[in-house]
Amino acid sequence: MSLRATRRATLKGISRAAALLGMSGAAAFLVRKAEGRVVWQIDTARCINSRAGEVGVKVCDLCLKECVVTQSAVRAVNEYSQCGRCNICPAYFNVTSAVSEKGVPSEKLCPRDAISRKPIGEVDPSDPANNFYEYVIDEAKCDGCGKCVMACKEPAGLGSIRLVVRHNLCVNCNSCAISTACPKDALTQLTVPESISASSRPAHSQS
Amino acid sequence: MTRALLVLLCLLALSAPALSQAMQYERPVDTAPREKDIGGGYTTPEVQKPLPRGAWLLILDFALLGAALAASVWLTIYKRSRRAVVWLSLFSLVYFGFYREGCVCPVGSLQNVAVALTDPNYRIPILVTATFFLPLIVAALFGRAFCGGVCALGAIQEFVLIKPVRVPRRLDQALGLLKYAYLGAAIWFAIQPAASRDFLVCRFDPFVSIFRRTGFAHMYAIGAAFLIGGMFVGRPYCRYLCPYGGLLSWCARLAPRGVSITPGRELDCGLCNDACPYGAIEKMRADQAGCLYCARCYRSCPVDRKESGLIAIEEIRPA
Amino acid sequence: MTPRILRRATVLCGALILACCAVLTFDYFQTRLRAPAEEARIAALQKEVRQDAARAAVLYAEQQRITRARDARNARTQRLKWVLIALSALFVTGAKRIIESPGAKPAPSKLPTQSSKTTRRPIPRPVAGSNGPPAVDLAFVNEVVAREGTGPEAAITILQAIQDHYRYLPEEALERVCEMTAITPAQITGAATFYGRFRRRPVGRHIVRVCHGTACHVAGAREISEQLRRDLAIPDGSDTDPERIFTLEEVACLGCCSLAPVLMVDNHASGKLTPAAAIDALDAAHPREPA
Repeated sequence: MSLRATRRATLKGISRAAALLGMSGAAAFLVRKAEGRVVWQIDTARCINSRAGEVGVKVCDLCLKECVVTQSAVRAVNEYSQCGRCNICPAYFNVTSAVSEKGVPSEKLCPRDAISRKPIGEVDPSDPANNFYEYVIDEAKCDGCGKCVMACKEPAGLGSIRLVVRHNLCVNCNSCAISTACPKDALTQLTVPESISASSRPAHSQS
Repeated sequence: MTRALLVLLCLLALSAPALSQAMQYERPVDTAPREKDIGGGYTTPEVQKPLPRGAWLLILDFALLGAALAASVWLTIYKRSRRAVVWLSLFSLVYFGFYREGCVCPVGSLQNVAVALTDPNYRIPILVTATFFLPLIVAALFGRAFCGGVCALGAIQEFVLIKPVRVPRRLDQALGLLKYAYLGAAIWFAIQPAASRDFLVCRFDPFVSIFRRTGFAHMYAIGAAFLIGGMFVGRPYCRYLCPYGGLLSWCARLAPRGVSITPGRELDCGLCNDACPYGAIEKMRADQAGCLYCARCYRSCPVDRKESGLIAIEEIRPA
Repeated sequence: MTPRILRRATVLCGALILACCAVLTFDYFQTRLRAPAEEARIAALQKEVRQDAARAAVLYAEQQRITRARDARNARTQRLKWVLIALSALFVTGAKRIIESPGAKPAPSKLPTQSSKTTRRPIPRPVAGSNGPPAVDLAFVNEVVAREGTGPEAAITILQAIQDHYRYLPEEALERVCEMTAITPAQITGAATFYGRFRRRPVGRHIVRVCHGTACHVAGAREISEQLRRDLAIPDGSDTDPERIFTLEEVACLGCCSLAPVLMVDNHASGKLTPAAAIDALDAAHPREPA
């Protein structure tokens, strides 16, 4: 091997070693910084509250329209511990519709009929209005349009229905399309420490 | 119970005068009822909370990426089998492309890495870090094995290539510079402050909308244009635009090993040169920076074909 | 699958792909065009409902209809996209097969070797002079020996000159050389048989060198040689046609493997041959008599 070739090989080796070292260093830095897994989450409190008279958008369905997953990875979820269990739930019924003979609005709000309700507790069969109701959202039907979420917000409801990113559906895009489009910056990235991944019990505020 | 009665009264008062009209709606409660108020042994059900993809699935993703890279290196450099590389590409297209819907892809992750390195508040998942660095490290050791059998974006272009047309070398080189410009632009837009940050590569990703079967019209249009062009020009996105390809080719220049065309046993026949649709064979030698590890040159090589038993050479009878 | 069916299937796939794309595009623009009207209708209904709650039923029905229509359209589009992907895969596979098939670029192994088209009866070619071996005029040998000398070291040069002149090494000429020089018959036979370039038998007017190097072998050199032997009606064991126009040689390499398969007629090379193209190359060198 000629001197020049030897020198070139040595230079190549040195630059290779430097590149590998640099890349491993950067990777180690990023791994240490990550501290777990980063996922997208929606802060429903920041969402547009059309009930409170916020204007500017007709009805916000960006979570439905923008998501790159076929049926949006965003779903509505009822946080039962905060639900008022109302007889006439503004998220279940279309409260602007005519009242039926049963004394409740004649139409439902959800365009996909994803919410079901049933009386709970000590049921008084003679007087439906005297009962508490549990509202369950069918994940499979929900497409995250957010109508019920808006309807449940203060002051109409207690805000127990929230929009959540379903991490089993979310592909965790580099730049979430919803977050880019969201006018209220309601989507934030959240670091999930690896240790929580086993527990799924929601934290109850009440004891 | 008193509260419930109040609600009832309130509702009756509201609904009675206007049965045909919509009710004047007013929130019936101010706080959520407790379990003991509801009674009847009611317990608050658990909220449905599917977890993120299980940790083992992330590890599986990472392991598959590593395995695919290792397989690509082995198949191209040591086994030298075009057929096996095609099968590997098909797997990558189906798994990393259609099943994982093109996420996480190292091409887009370069922006996240750029942001995470510059913005102290921005963190990226470990998987993204790994996805970004692993192919680069492999490239610095063995060349662009990632491009050959692993990258889903490459695989889809690989499969649509029907009739390769030779791009004039000058034009090829000039267009090849585009990817560095694109790389610079992608990093520049990514490292802007959070409010004006933009991920160009993801916004104009040509094939991700095909993998997801959903997306904006402009993405479909770009994808279709690249696929139709790709029928005649070998892997146009990889060669002329892929910013990650630019990084990989820098690393590949440093690689001590790489694709070599029958070292020491060449016929200098130039058949491999004709077979390479990417113009990556120069003077009968694979250009490490441009070689996309498709292994087509092996299939065209008489020496390789003889060694793999595809053809037999008979002695020619004397005239 | 026969090439014909393959070709038809591929064309059909291509047509279906175009149809799918057309439907998807149509769907897309139809949705885009209808959306403002639908939104306007919903807004108008919402306004009406504010004044007259009875209209709520209409609004609700309208919303339901739009939602159902959107769901149905999405489902249809999704199915169509899968079909499109599958069709594209089929189309690409078919197109590749067609391009690599013998029709487009002949693969040697699949060529018909006994078809009526390729086994033409040899057509007589114009031949100047007699058919028999040319009469050997030994005056040239005298000249050469006088020029090159009589020592054994001149043997090769003399043989070359003789071959240049007679185009082969006539037995009589070699005998004459032995008589005139110090070269023994054993030496001269040794040299004349050792080197492949020297020919002991009369040759045709044109020498056809068919390359049988590795690359040409792979690309079908054997079919070329066989076809030429058939076409020229060269008898087994011989290398020259009866009219002694072409002599066929198989050589190891002509140095242009990228043009494989290659042959040279005299000093003119032709590459990327098919058996038919090889015959054409010979015809170009020595046109046939009009039948």
